[in-house]
Amino acid sequence: MIPKFRSLTALLITVAALVSEPGRGTAAESGRPINFVNDIVPVLTKADCNSGSCHAKAITGQRGFRLSLLGFEPEEDYEHIVKEGRGRRVFPPAPDQSLLLLKSANIVPHGGGKKLGPESEGYQTLVRWISEGMPYGSETDPKIAAIEVQPSRLTMKVNTTQALKVTAHYSDGSSRDVTGMALYEANDKSMAGVTREGVVQTLDIPGNVAVMVRYSGLVSVFSISIPLGAPVGELPAPSNFIDEFVFANLKVIGVPPSAVCDDATFLRRVSLDIAGRLPTLEEVKAFQAVTDPKKRELAIDSLLASPDYADYFANKWTALLKNKREDAADITANFAFHAWMRDNLLANQPYDQMVRQILGATGTIVSNPPVAWYKRVKEPNQQLEDVAQLFLGVRMQCAQCHHHPFERWSQHDYYALSAFFSQVGRKPTAIAGEDLIFHKRGLAEVENKKTGKKVRPAALGQTPPEILPDEDPRLQLADWMAGKDNPFFAKALVNRYWKHFFKRGLVEPEDDIRDTNPATNPELLEALAKHFVESGFDLKAVVRVITRSRTYQLSAMPNEFNAIDSQNFSHFYPKRLQAEVLLDGIDLLTQAKTDFADLPPGTRAIALPDNSYNRAAPFLKVFGRPEGASVCECERVQSSSLAQSLHLMNSAEVKGKLAFASGRADRLSKADVPVAEGIKEIYLSAFGREPSGEEYSIAEDFLAKPRTDAAGKPVDALRSKRLAYEDLLWAILNTKEFLYNH
Amino acid sequence: MQRLHYKDFLLLAMLNRTPLSALLALAMILPAAAVNAQLVVLPAPRLLTTMPMGGQAGTAVEVTISGENIENVTELLFSTPKITAKPVTDAQGKAVEGKFLVTIAADAPVGVYDARVLSRLGISSARAFSVGTLPELTRTAPNNSVETALKLPVNSICNATMTKRAVDFYAFEGKKGRRVAVDCAAAGIDSKLTPVVIIADAKGADLLVNRTGGVIDFIPPADGTYVVKVNDLTYQGGERHFYRLALRDVAGDGPAPRQPSTTLVSAVSWPPPGFPDTASAAETEPNNRPAEAQKITLPCDLSGSFFPAADVDTFEFSAKKGDIWWVEVASERLGLPTDPFVLVQQVTKTGDQETLTDVAELYDINSPVKVSSNGYSYDGPPYDVGSPDVLGKFEIKEDGAHRLQVRDLFGGTRNVPENSYRLIVRKAAPDFALGAWAVHMTLRNGDRAAFSKPIALRAGGAMVLEVLAVRRDGFDGEIELGMEGLPAGVTAGGLKIPAGKSVGHVIISADSTAKAGSALARMSGRAKIDGKDVTRPCRLASMAWPVKDAKQEIPSPRLFDDIPVSVTEAEASPLTITAAEEKVWEVPQGGALKIPLKAVWRGEFSGTSVKLKAYGTGFDGMKEIDLPVKANATEAVFDLAALKTPPGDYTIAFYGSAVAKYSYNPDAVKAAEAARIKAEAEAAKIASEAKKLAGDAANAPADKKSEMANAAKIAADKQKQAEALMAEAAKKVKDVTDAAAPKDIVDIFVSAPIRVTVKPAPEAAAVTAKK
Repeated sequence: MIPKFRSLTALLITVAALVSEPGRGTAAESGRPINFVNDIVPVLTKADCNSGSCHAKAITGQRGFRLSLLGFEPEEDYEHIVKEGRGRRVFPPAPDQSLLLLKSANIVPHGGGKKLGPESEGYQTLVRWISEGMPYGSETDPKIAAIEVQPSRLTMKVNTTQALKVTAHYSDGSSRDVTGMALYEANDKSMAGVTREGVVQTLDIPGNVAVMVRYSGLVSVFSISIPLGAPVGELPAPSNFIDEFVFANLKVIGVPPSAVCDDATFLRRVSLDIAGRLPTLEEVKAFQAVTDPKKRELAIDSLLASPDYADYFANKWTALLKNKREDAADITANFAFHAWMRDNLLANQPYDQMVRQILGATGTIVSNPPVAWYKRVKEPNQQLEDVAQLFLGVRMQCAQCHHHPFERWSQHDYYALSAFFSQVGRKPTAIAGEDLIFHKRGLAEVENKKTGKKVRPAALGQTPPEILPDEDPRLQLADWMAGKDNPFFAKALVNRYWKHFFKRGLVEPEDDIRDTNPATNPELLEALAKHFVESGFDLKAVVRVITRSRTYQLSAMPNEFNAIDSQNFSHFYPKRLQAEVLLDGIDLLTQAKTDFADLPPGTRAIALPDNSYNRAAPFLKVFGRPEGASVCECERVQSSSLAQSLHLMNSAEVKGKLAFASGRADRLSKADVPVAEGIKEIYLSAFGREPSGEEYSIAEDFLAKPRTDAAGKPVDALRSKRLAYEDLLWAILNTKEFLYNH
Repeated sequence: MQRLHYKDFLLLAMLNRTPLSALLALAMILPAAAVNAQLVVLPAPRLLTTMPMGGQAGTAVEVTISGENIENVTELLFSTPKITAKPVTDAQGKAVEGKFLVTIAADAPVGVYDARVLSRLGISSARAFSVGTLPELTRTAPNNSVETALKLPVNSICNATMTKRAVDFYAFEGKKGRRVAVDCAAAGIDSKLTPVVIIADAKGADLLVNRTGGVIDFIPPADGTYVVKVNDLTYQGGERHFYRLALRDVAGDGPAPRQPSTTLVSAVSWPPPGFPDTASAAETEPNNRPAEAQKITLPCDLSGSFFPAADVDTFEFSAKKGDIWWVEVASERLGLPTDPFVLVQQVTKTGDQETLTDVAELYDINSPVKVSSNGYSYDGPPYDVGSPDVLGKFEIKEDGAHRLQVRDLFGGTRNVPENSYRLIVRKAAPDFALGAWAVHMTLRNGDRAAFSKPIALRAGGAMVLEVLAVRRDGFDGEIELGMEGLPAGVTAGGLKIPAGKSVGHVIISADSTAKAGSALARMSGRAKIDGKDVTRPCRLASMAWPVKDAKQEIPSPRLFDDIPVSVTEAEASPLTITAAEEKVWEVPQGGALKIPLKAVWRGEFSGTSVKLKAYGTGFDGMKEIDLPVKANATEAVFDLAALKTPPGDYTIAFYGSAVAKYSYNPDAVKAAEAARIKAEAEAAKIASEAKKLAGDAANAPADKKSEMANAAKIAADKQKQAEALMAEAAKKVKDVTDAAAPKDIVDIFVSAPIRVTVKPAPEAAAVTAKK
C-alpha cells in the first residue's frame, strides 16, 4: 500500500518516520549473522562514506582513511576499517566509542559532518556489527543476486509523487527490503526528482524519465511516463516508421505535435543540417518555383549528393577523432585524415567499413590516413575508451579503476576490451612524433592492473574469441561491431545522428547508452538501429530517413500545449548555428570571404581540416568550435554567451565583413536595383524567405534615412546607401531567425 | 641559406659517429662571433627543376632549367645517350641562359632518367627527367577555376607546377563507359608535391578522389565534360612542386599503367644478380587458412599479391632436418607501400590434431647502420639500404611438413591488388649488394641541406662516400672497394669493408693542380665468394632536395643511374691535407707509425685548430690530433700495439671540420661591374643621342617635323630600354656582391687517401721463417 501525500513536506515527514521505523530494510530483521558485504558496505555507500569526493578519493582516501569507490572492493575496505590504524577505528568492548561511529555521527569532529545519527538504521547496524566482533561473513553466506524496484514502470501525472520499494534478492532465495539503503538518481532532473528515501516526484515537463536505483553494486530502473494529457487530435500522415513511433508516443503522453513547417523553413533547415550551409539565393528561388510534390525528397537527395554534405560531416567526425594540430608538422597528418574522412563520406563508404579502416589501420599516414588516429590516441587504454564511447556509446573510463557504478562493466571487461589493442606495433618514421603502425605478431593480452592477471581480448558482454597470434585482434573487434546483432554499434550511431538533427538524442548524453539511462522512445531507437543495419550501415540512408520524416519537418512554433515538451519531438527544437556554419552564413550573407591559412581562397569554415584555425579566427573560438581534444560532442560549446553577442554586434571581424569591398552592401548600394529588390535579396539569403509587408516598409524607411559620419556630418548619397545596407545586414545577422536553425 | 641563432647553431655533428664531447670541445674553440654567422657545407651545384620534366620519345622539346650555385652552365647531360641537349640560341646565335633544346631519340625506352648540368663548380645534383610515349603539353596560363580549366586531350601528359594554396583544373571529354586513367606523377619524379587527384563533374562538384597514390581509374557514367582537379595534400606549392598529369585510355580491366618512377634506396639489394624478371610460379587463392595451404617444393620462386585486405598466403612444403633455407621477399623494394612478413612453422599431426611449432619469424632487412632518428638532432644517415622486405633464413629442426606464411603487416584493411610481392626460398647463394652516399655534417636544427651533394670536387679538395653492404645468404667476407673512370687529376681510394662488417668508405680527391673536367665513374666492390672473385656494382644515393628543416619536410632519398664526377679549377678547396710524402707507409705489427702531414690553407679560417681523426679499419681508433689553423704541417702518430692492427695493406685518410671564410664566386663581381659600366656608358650614349634628336625634332622645319619626331620617339624608347638594362646590370652587381661577401662556412675536410702496410712483427716473422 503506497500512501498518498498532499505536499512534499508531509511526504518527507512520513518518509522519515518510515525510515526510522525499526526493522524496515535492516540487516537485523532476519536475525541471521551479519555480513560485511551484504550489510555494512550498503550503509557506508548510502551515507556517502565511499563516494569519490570522500573516503574513496583515488589513492589518498580522506585523512588517512581510504575506502573503495562505492564499496566495489569490500575485502580492502574491511582491511582498512578493521585492521588499519592498529584497529583504532573499531572498539568492540564499547561499539559506540569506535572512531568509525564517533566520526560518522560527528561526535568527534568529522570533515564530512554528520553522516549517520545514533538513531539511524545504518548506525545501529554498525553498532551491532562491531559488537559482534566485526565479522566479514563466510563463503557460505548468501550473496546478493539481484535488486528489484517496484513499481518498475508507471504513468505518473505532472507534479505527483510515488514511493519506490527496492528489494534485494539473495543467492539463497531470500529477499530483503533495502529501500532505505538504496541510492536513487533520475536521468533527467528537469523532469523528476527523487528523495534519499526513494520517493519520486514528477515536475512540470511531460515525457519519459527514468530513475536509476543502485544497491550493493547492482542497478535497476524505474521508468516513468509523464503524460501531459492534452488532446492530440489529427496527426500529420506518417512519412515513415519514425513518425509512427514518435506520434504513437505523443498520443500516449497527450502532447499534440505542431504543424509541418513551410517549404522555405524546410529548405533552410535541411540545408543547414545536411550541408552545413544556408541555401543559396538561387536554390531558394528554384525551390520556390518547383511544384513537384516530392520536392522535399529531391532537395534532400541533392544535398546528400553534394560535397558539402561530406565536408560538414567530416568536420563533425574528425573533431571527435581528435584531429588536433599540436605541432606545425602535424599538418600533413591532419589534412590527410580529414580528407580521408571527407572522401569516404562523399563516396558513402559504409559506416562499419570506415570504422574498420580506423580500428585496423596499419602503415603510414600518407599512404593510409586513418593511421593518424593512432598518432593522436596512443595508449591502449585511451584507444578502448575512445572506441567504446564514440562507436559503441559506452563510457568505460570508470571501469579502468573500479567496477562501473551504473553499469555492468567490471575492470575485467575494461582490460578485455583494451587487449584488442595490445598488439599494435609501432615503428618511428622520418616525421617526429609519427609512427607507422603494424600488427605485432603474438598472443593478445593485457595485464589487469588491479589483479595482475593476464586478460585476453573480449568484446563487451562476450566470451573471448579465439585469436591466433597471427591475427590482428583489432579486425575481430571490428567484425564484432559490424555484427547484425551488436547491441551497441548501430544504436550509438543512429542516436548520435538523431541528436545532430533534433538537438537532443533519444538517449542523452548521446554517448552514454546504458540500461540505467533508457531512451525516451526506446522502440524508435531500436527501429532506427535496425534500419541502419539493414541498409548496410548506409550513413546517407540514416540522414535520408530522418529528414524525410514528418517529425523532422514539424514547425518550430509550438502550439498551445507542446511548448513545454523538450524530449518528445512534438515540435522542432531550434538550434543555434554551429560556429563554422554561422561564419560561413555571415560570409554568404555579406558576400565577404574569410581567409584561412594553407587553404585555397574560398575554403569555407565547415571544410577546415583541424582545430588550428580556431586560433586565427577568433569567431570560431567564441562560438565554441571544438579543439579536437575530446571524443565527446560536448566539447563543442553550443550555449550562448555575452562574448558571442558582443562579437556579432561589435567585433572588427564582423564589421569588416559588412564593409567588405565588393561585398553585398557595397554591391547593392552601387547596383541599379530598386531598394525593395535589395531587401528581398537580403531576406532570401539570410532567412530563405521573402520579407513580410511590414518588414519591407520598415526596411525601406530604414534604408532611406541619410547616414552621417563619425563627426555627425552627412555623407554622400552613395556612401549613405552603402552604410544603410551595412546597417540592415548588421540587424539581420543579429536576429534569432538568422542565428538559429528553426 | 638561412642564418641561424647561436643556440640552434651549436655545431653538433661532424660525422655521425663522433663523440659528443669532442664536438662540444670543437664548438668551444669557435669564437662566438664566428659561430653566429656560420653556414654549413661549401656551396654545391644543384639542378633543381626542369620545365617540362620530360618528353615524348622521338620529339625535341625546349627545356628551361633552374638551380642553385650553377653559373656558366655549359651542358645539360642525361643518364642515357638517347637524350641529348644543346643550348637554345637567340637570333644572334648567343646561348639563352637556362634554356636547352632536348632531343629524345625515338627508341628511348620509357623511364625516368637523371638530368644534370655542368657548370662553373662542376657537375650538379640530378633531377628526374621522364620519357614517355604520349604527346605532351606544358601548362602556360593559370588554371585555378572551373572556368579556366585547361582542356586536356585523352592520351596526353601535361607538365605543370602547383601554386601554393591553389587547385589546378583540367577538363576532358569523357565517353560513357570508356575507361580512363588519371595519373599524377610527383614523388616518383623528385617533386615535393603530394598529389591529390579529383574527378569532378562539369561544374566542379567532386565525384571521385584519390589522395594516396595520385591515380584515379574512372569510367564516365555519361558522355560529357569532366573536370580533373589537382592539388597538394596540404596546398603547398612553388616551382619545386611540379607534376606530370597523364590522362589515358585504358583497355580491358587490368590495372591501369602508371608513369615510371625513380628507384628507392632500399632497392640496391634487388634484384639479386642474374635474377630472372618473372617468377616461375604464382600463388593461387584461396590459401589463407592452414587447410588451404598451397603445396610447393623448395627451392621456389613465386609471385603473389597481398590482396584482398588481411590476405595471408600459406604455402606447405616438406623439408629435411638440418636443411637451411634462405627466404627473400621483395615488395617494398619494388616501390610498393608494404611491409612483408614471413612465418615458418613446423606441422606435426597426432591423429586429426595438428600442432604448429614456430620455426622462424622474418621481418625486415635491417640497416647496417643506425638511421638518423627523427629528433631534433641528427645521429646517423637520413636513409639506408635496409628495407621492410624480408631476407633471412630458417633451419629445419625435424623432417616433415612445414608451412610458410607471407603477409603484409600494413595490409589489414587495404584492398589494393597492385600490392604484389616476389617470394624466393633458396639454398644459400652468398652474395652482396652495395650502396653509397656522400658523408655529411649537420646542425641541430634539422638542417639536412648537405645531404644533397653531387661529386663536384674543388681542386685540392676531397670527398668521402660512405659505402654500405647488404650481405646476402651468409656472405661474411671482406669487400674491397674501388672506383674507376675518374677525370684526370682525381683519384679514389677504397677503404675496404672488413669481414663481418657492412660499412666502408671511399675517398675521392682532386689534386691541387687538377684541371677542370668531368667523367662518368664506376664504383664497385670485389670479394672472394666460395673461392671465386666476384665484382658487384655500387649504386649512388642522395636526397632529391637540399632540405632546410627535416622537421617540416620529409627527406626523399633515391638511387641514381650513374656516378658522374667532376673537378673545378674555378675554386680551390680552402684546405688541402696530404701526407708529406707520396708513398706506401710501412710499419711492423705492434710498432709506432708516424705520418707527417702537409696542410695548405687558402684564405681565412676561424678557430685555433682543426681536430683530425682517421678513417680506415685498424686505424680509426687513433687519438685526435691537432692541426693548428694556418700550420702547414703536423704529424699523425699511431700506436699499433694499442690499436691491435693486424698485418696487411690498408688505406686510411684523415678528416676534420673547419670553419672557412668563404667568398662565393668573387670573379662574378668584377665581370658584373664591367658589364654595369658598359651598360652605363651605352645608356649615356643613347641618352645623349636621344636628347639631340629630341632637340632636332623640336627645331625641325614643318615638313620634317613628323619624321624627326618619330626618330626622337624611337630614340627615347631605346633610351628607356638602355636604362632598364643598366638597372638590371646594377642589380646583378648587387646580387653577386652580396653572394661574394665572405661568410663563415663549416665543412668537412678530408685528406687524400694514404696507403699503409703493416708487416708481421719481426719475432713473428722469425718464428714463421724457422718453420
